[in-house]
Amino acid sequence: MDRTKTIRTYEPVGHALGFVGSLRLAGAELYLSRHVIWHLFVRDFVAQFRQKILGYFWIVLGPLLGIIPFVFMHRAGILNPGAMEIPYPVFVFIGMGIWGLLISTFSTVSGGLLGNADLVMRTNIPKIALAITGLAGIFYSLIVHVVVLLIVLTIYRLPPSPWALLYPLVVLPMIFLGVGLGLMLAVVGAVARDVTGMATTALSILMYISPVIYKAEFSHPLLQALVTWNPMTYLVDAPRSLFIFGVIPDSLGFALASLFSVFMLAAGVNAFYLIKERVAERL
Amino acid sequence: MSGAAWAIKAEGLSKKFGLTLRQSMRYGLRDATRRLVGKATESDELREGEFWAVKDASFELLEGEALGIMGVNGCGKTTLLRMLNGVYSPDVGRAQLRGRVGAMIAAGAGFAPMLSGRENVYVNGTLLGLTTREIDDLMDEIIAFSELGQFIDLPVKNYSSGMYVRLGFAIAALSRPDVLLMDEVLAVGDLNFQKKCFDHILQLKREGTAIILVSHSPGAIWSVCDRGLFMDHGCVQVDGPVEDVIRAYDDQNSRNAAAASAQFDQAVAAHDGVVGAGTASEYGHAQGGTGDVVFTTVRLLSIPAAIPTSEFAFMESMLIDAELTVTQPQENLLLRFTIDAMHYRFIATMDSLEQGLELPRVEAGRYRLQVRVNSPNFRPGAYTLNVGVSRKGVGVHLFYWFGAARFLVKHPQSSFLYADNNAVMHLDSAFRLEPWSSETMEAVMPAVEMRV
Repeated sequence: MDRTKTIRTYEPVGHALGFVGSLRLAGAELYLSRHVIWHLFVRDFVAQFRQKILGYFWIVLGPLLGIIPFVFMHRAGILNPGAMEIPYPVFVFIGMGIWGLLISTFSTVSGGLLGNADLVMRTNIPKIALAITGLAGIFYSLIVHVVVLLIVLTIYRLPPSPWALLYPLVVLPMIFLGVGLGLMLAVVGAVARDVTGMATTALSILMYISPVIYKAEFSHPLLQALVTWNPMTYLVDAPRSLFIFGVIPDSLGFALASLFSVFMLAAGVNAFYLIKERVAERL
Repeated sequence: MSGAAWAIKAEGLSKKFGLTLRQSMRYGLRDATRRLVGKATESDELREGEFWAVKDASFELLEGEALGIMGVNGCGKTTLLRMLNGVYSPDVGRAQLRGRVGAMIAAGAGFAPMLSGRENVYVNGTLLGLTTREIDDLMDEIIAFSELGQFIDLPVKNYSSGMYVRLGFAIAALSRPDVLLMDEVLAVGDLNFQKKCFDHILQLKREGTAIILVSHSPGAIWSVCDRGLFMDHGCVQVDGPVEDVIRAYDDQNSRNAAAASAQFDQAVAAHDGVVGAGTASEYGHAQGGTGDVVFTTVRLLSIPAAIPTSEFAFMESMLIDAELTVTQPQENLLLRFTIDAMHYRFIATMDSLEQGLELPRVEAGRYRLQVRVNSPNFRPGAYTLNVGVSRKGVGVHLFYWFGAARFLVKHPQSSFLYADNNAVMHLDSAFRLEPWSSETMEAVMPAVEMRV
């Protein structure tokens, strides 16, 4: 077996990598570890199914149960989501699904290094690869979410738009945002473990100025401004409208919010490379 | 290219850690912030509460060479190995590794319990740097080497621990790395499997794999490695032939064992309230007796210089130097020393009467006792000296003192006593091996009969 022998060099990193440098390095490392990422991805994906072999019923029921409190509050008149073109349960189900994607991406990536601490300590796999392998679970729940959504729409006799096929693409910015924030927290959280918890709480507060469980149309100007400037508003609204009506309501807002999430992804990668050297010894 | 090229180069590798979690978190956050704002971290100097886990380790390993790293727990072996594997980034210095690195610290890493052995081979194999195609090609070999047979398709959660490590070892060993890093992994499976592992490792070595083996087992290091490092408190103390490294490691182990048992005895004595409380008049203490005779000090001296010491060379004579007080006149006094090894009690005894000193009457007063122990054949290790005083006609101890002195016997430079760590005595003997024939049997038989 003839192969060119690469030389690995480990030494203290003197200078901090720039934005472009860290992105380039991330690209190179992810390419080098593509086999690992793929097999860890498959491992987690397959393990998810095997572990739940008796629980398919619950897989479908789980997300539905999540929306029950809101549907109940809506029915009881406690919650006024605003004028709706679609049944409220469908609205809240899609909203919660997309929001859940952000939260679970964020928590998976931020906990990725801690969760793979064994591999961090025992292998020389690039740490960024280990941080993002947990995304397998995210794709799994995305699939479940879409399947259950189709069931819900069938019950309401509401056909999805043909543009719904683009749904996975349109929720991608939300995943980018989750990955970016998660990468920042993955390294900081490995050093100071409570930071991730604080960030998760902050994100769940953010849900209330995003159109997740209601349309987030406020008469108070400050609240309305917060909603308007909140990129999540567009990242939640766009996929939902696209799925049902086949249109993106505020395409400029969505484009800017998508740009923002790409920027956050790059910033996350940058922060990750700045600090990752200090992670292993503190796991 | 003639001659072997270097496979691993370590130049002044150093790594520091914080002693407490709190400090480590504080420094971690400070370093993280400094890096975020583009400032250099203070990586090459110790801050308060930090220590060097590895300090200034340098060596070079050629292709086909094997280096053994030994040292007592906490000496920095694993940290050094982790730096070489890229897990920890060094604070100072540089490590370079040429070619694919297989780390047997990663044997069985990433195994998912729900997946079958076969599926886990792919996960673990890629973790070791193999491509999917390479694993496809190696699969049959891995199954054969691990002796798993049809169990390869069983979920690994149903594997026995032996099956688990056999599979992990097989993947790592068969991945044919250019550099193999191993941490205490040769003791897996049954004896036949272990032998197969050794054979395979040596085969890899012949094929040019550079090997680093971290182990507490002198046997494993001696079998595999050409040379070694002995580490203590993060520093490389010995860099040379494996025999020297094993000697240094064993001696350090003996020192630590002696210190630990002295500490333990002190703690027990403090707990019993014996320290400073005089002599107990029953058994079950470190010191006790009737009080008729009391030893106040017991020291060990080197023979020519009469300097107090606790370390003796192999077969070096020693002098026991003790002070005792006899409170009442004693008849037929018996003074006795016994010696304990680490795991065995009373492996040797020296009794005044047995050695020809009759003491029909000893008046009250203070005495000095000296006992010369000529060329004791203790094997290298840690030993404890106990004192016992009795009298003919009295069935109890007038005085006893366990752990009166401690000493260790160091490894000799002239011979290599590697055979058995549990053995305590070295019997000088002559070995002869000849091809079998009736004449040789006849020549030996009478000698055997005479001994019987």
